[in-house]
Amino acid sequence: MTSIGTGYDLSNSVFSPDGRNFQVEYAVKAVENGGTSIGIRCKDGVVLAVEKVISSKLLKPGANKRIATIDRHMGAVSSGLVPDGRHFTSRARDEAQNWRSTWKTPITVKDLASRMGGYLQMYTLYSSVRPFGITAIVGGWDSELESPVDGQVGSGPSIGSGGKVDSKKHGGPGLYMIEPSGIYWGYYGAATGKGRQTAKAELEKLDLAAGNLSLFDGVKEAARIIYVAHADNKDKEFELEMTWISNMDGPTKGRHEEVPKDILEEAEKLAKKHLEGEDDEEETKDDDKMEE
Amino acid sequence: MNHLPQAWGRPRDDVYGPYDGSYLQNDGPNQHSQSPIVTGTSVLALKFKDGVVIAADNLASYGSLARFTDVKRLRKFAETSVVGFGGDVSDMQYLDRLLNSLDIEEAYGSTGHTLNAQNLHTYLAKVLYKRRSNFNPLWNQLLVAGLDGEGKPFLASADLLGTTFSSPSLATGFGAHLAQPLLRKVAPDEETASKLSLEQAVEAVKASMKVLFYRDARSIDKYSIAVVTKEGIDLKQDEKLENQSWAFAEQIRGYGTQVN
Amino acid sequence: MFRNNYDNDSVTFSPQGRIFQVEYASEAVKQGSVVVGLVSKTHAVLVAVKRNAEELSSYQKKIITIDEHLGLSLAGLASDARVLSNFMKQQSLSSRLIYGRAIPLSRLVDSIGDRAQTNTQHYGKRPYGVGLLVAGVDELGPHLFEFQPSGMTQEMAASAIGARSQMARTYLERNLEKFADCGRQELVVHGLKALKESLAQDKELTVENCSVGVVGIRPDGAKTIEGFKLFDGQDVKQWVDLVAEGAEETAEEGMEVDT
Repeated sequence: MTSIGTGYDLSNSVFSPDGRNFQVEYAVKAVENGGTSIGIRCKDGVVLAVEKVISSKLLKPGANKRIATIDRHMGAVSSGLVPDGRHFTSRARDEAQNWRSTWKTPITVKDLASRMGGYLQMYTLYSSVRPFGITAIVGGWDSELESPVDGQVGSGPSIGSGGKVDSKKHGGPGLYMIEPSGIYWGYYGAATGKGRQTAKAELEKLDLAAGNLSLFDGVKEAARIIYVAHADNKDKEFELEMTWISNMDGPTKGRHEEVPKDILEEAEKLAKKHLEGEDDEEETKDDDKMEE
Repeated sequence: MNHLPQAWGRPRDDVYGPYDGSYLQNDGPNQHSQSPIVTGTSVLALKFKDGVVIAADNLASYGSLARFTDVKRLRKFAETSVVGFGGDVSDMQYLDRLLNSLDIEEAYGSTGHTLNAQNLHTYLAKVLYKRRSNFNPLWNQLLVAGLDGEGKPFLASADLLGTTFSSPSLATGFGAHLAQPLLRKVAPDEETASKLSLEQAVEAVKASMKVLFYRDARSIDKYSIAVVTKEGIDLKQDEKLENQSWAFAEQIRGYGTQVN
Repeated sequence: MFRNNYDNDSVTFSPQGRIFQVEYASEAVKQGSVVVGLVSKTHAVLVAVKRNAEELSSYQKKIITIDEHLGLSLAGLASDARVLSNFMKQQSLSSRLIYGRAIPLSRLVDSIGDRAQTNTQHYGKRPYGVGLLVAGVDELGPHLFEFQPSGMTQEMAASAIGARSQMARTYLERNLEKFADCGRQELVVHGLKALKESLAQDKELTVENCSVGVVGIRPDGAKTIEGFKLFDGQDVKQWVDLVAEGAEETAEEGMEVDT
C-alpha cells in the first residue's frame, strides 16, 4: 500500500500530500473484515439483517444480539469492531432521547443519521482519538399518523397537534448508512461488511427504487442475501439475526422488533433452498465443462 | 408625572415625602415551582384478588375554574402498570415523559426484562424525594397500581415529599378524606382485599367516585378507570358517572343564596 | 524498540484495520492463571486456579462477589479487575436502591464493556489488561458472560480464559451438551475437570490454590435465589476432593445424590 512508510498514516486527522486521511481508510479496513450487515427499505417498512459469524462453539446460541433498538421506531446494525458498534448504539440512543426531551416527539431516521454522521466525523478531527471502526446502518419508520406529543394528556384540538397537512404525505420508511468518515447517505438497500459486494449486487437486482417490495418479501430477500453473501465465507458457521419496523398498520405497528421466530425460520428455509438451487446449477455447469 | 407603573396610584413624593418602596423588592428565590397551578383532584385505587382497580376523573382545574375537561390522569407504563396522578398537571406531564423514556430504555434489550409496579414505585418515590430535597418538588401525589415481583397485586402511593405508603385501598387529595373510609369498609385489610372479585372492586370504586363528584367542587363526572391484572391493562378513559341522584342536595343548608 | 509503527497507542489503526495495543492487552489476559465458567439451566459456576508469588506468600484472589446474585472471576491485571468490579458493585447497588431490583446481568456487563471501549478510542488511556467471566442469575435465569479488554462482551454457555486455557476450552467444547441439565454439584465437577486440563503437569488442585463460586435459582420456581457463594480455603475442600486423584467413583455417587 502506498500509504505505508510515508509517515502520514500514523496519526488520525493528518492529511497526506494528496489529501487523504489514512487512519480513516484503515478504519474502513476494520469494517471490511466484519460480518455482513444489510438493510432494505420496503414500501411498508424496513428490514435489518446481520450475519453473525460464530467465533466459538462455546457462545450461547441465539444470545449476543447485534441489532440494537435506538428508539421505539428505529434500529441500528453495524459491521466492524463490535465494541465500537456498541459505542455507536449508546450515542444514538442518547441522541434519540435528547431529541424527545427537546421536541416532545420521536426523532426521524434522517435526523438521527445526521446527528450520528456529525458524531462520527468528530472522531476524524483529532489526533487524540481514532475513527470508529464500523459502518452502521440505521433503519426506522417515521409515523405517518397524527401522533400525540410526548406527555400530552388531553385529546387536543380536533385538527390534531399540528404540523401535518392533509394533502401531503408524511412519515414513511427511512434507511441510512453511516461510514467511519462520518459521511452518510440514504439508501433503498444498504450493505456493509465482508460480503457487501455480493450483497450489493443482490440488492440492485431487487429494483427497490420502484418502491414495490413489501415488508414480508423484504424479510425473505434479506435472509436470502445474507445467505448468498455468506457463501464466500463458507468455512465459518453463522447465525442470522433479523429485525424489522413496519408501518402503523403492519405487524409491528411502527415499532422496531425482532422478526418473529416462525417468519425468520421460513425465510431461512427459503434462503437455504435458493442456495442449494444455485449450487446445483453450478455443479451442472461444471459437469458440462468436464464433458467438454 | 412619574410614569413608572409602580408609582401609579401612590401618594405623590413632592407632597408626602419619598415613598417607601422596599416591600416591592423581590430578592427572594423564584417560587413558580413552590405551588401547583393547574391541578387534578383525587385518584382512587383498590386491590382485588387478581389485581388492582384504579380511577381518576378527567378534570384539570385552574384554581376553582374547571379549565380542562378531558385530561387523562391515569398513565400506562409498559402495558404492566398504571400510575394515577393527583396534583399539578404539568408536573404530571413531566413525570409521564420521564416514564416514557424509562420505558424506552427498558425495551432496548429484547429479552423481556421489565420494571414491575413495585420497581416503578420505588423509582418514582426516589425522583420525588430528590426533587423535594432540592426544594423544587414535583407537586403530585401518585398511586402506582400493578403487580409486584411475585405477580401479586401491588398498590402504593408516593407524594411530593417523597413519602411512601401502601394499603389495600388508597386515595389521594379530597378522596383521602371522603373515599378512603368507603373503600376501607370494602377492604379493611389485605386478606379481605385478596378475596374481592373484580366486579366488587369496580363497583366500590365507582360508588366512591360518585360520592366524590357529589361533594368535591373540583371534580367532574367524566372519569377514567383501569383494571390491572397479569393479563394486562384494561383502561377506559371516557366514562361517565351513571345513576346520579341529587335528591340529597335538597337537604343541604347554609350554602349559596339559600339561607335557611 | 517497537514491533511496528502502528502499535504505540490504542488510537492508531494498522493498515489492515487492527489496533495492536488492544491485541497486546488481550495477551495480558493470557498471562493470568486460568479461570473457567459454565452454566446449566439452574446454576452458574466459576472455578479458578490461584497463584502465589512465592511459597510463603498468600494466594491471589481470583473470584470476587459483586452482589447477592452475581460474581466474577478474573485473568490478567488484578488491579484493573478491582477497578471494574468496584464499578460493577456500584451499579448493582444503585439498581437495588433506585428500582429495588437486582440488576439484569446483560446490562451490567454491557456497562463495563462500554467503559472498556472508551479506553480503546482515546489517546492517553490504555485498554484494561484483564479478562473477566461474570456469572450470575436474574429474572431470565442463570448467565455467564465473558469480558475482553477490547470491550467485547459475549454471553457464553461455557468459557475459559487465562494461561493454557485452550485445554480447558477443549474439555468444555467436548462436554458442552451435558451442561444444561447438570445439577449444582455435577456442574462444579465439570468446571474443576476443565480446570485440571489446563494445569501445568506437576500441579494439582488443592485447597490453597483453588476457588469455586456458585450461584443458582431455586428449583421449585420460587422467586428467591441461591445467592452467589464463594468457596475458598477449607470451604473448597468439599469440591476439590470430588476431582482428586482416585476420587472419581465417589464423585459419581455424590452426583447421583445431588440430582
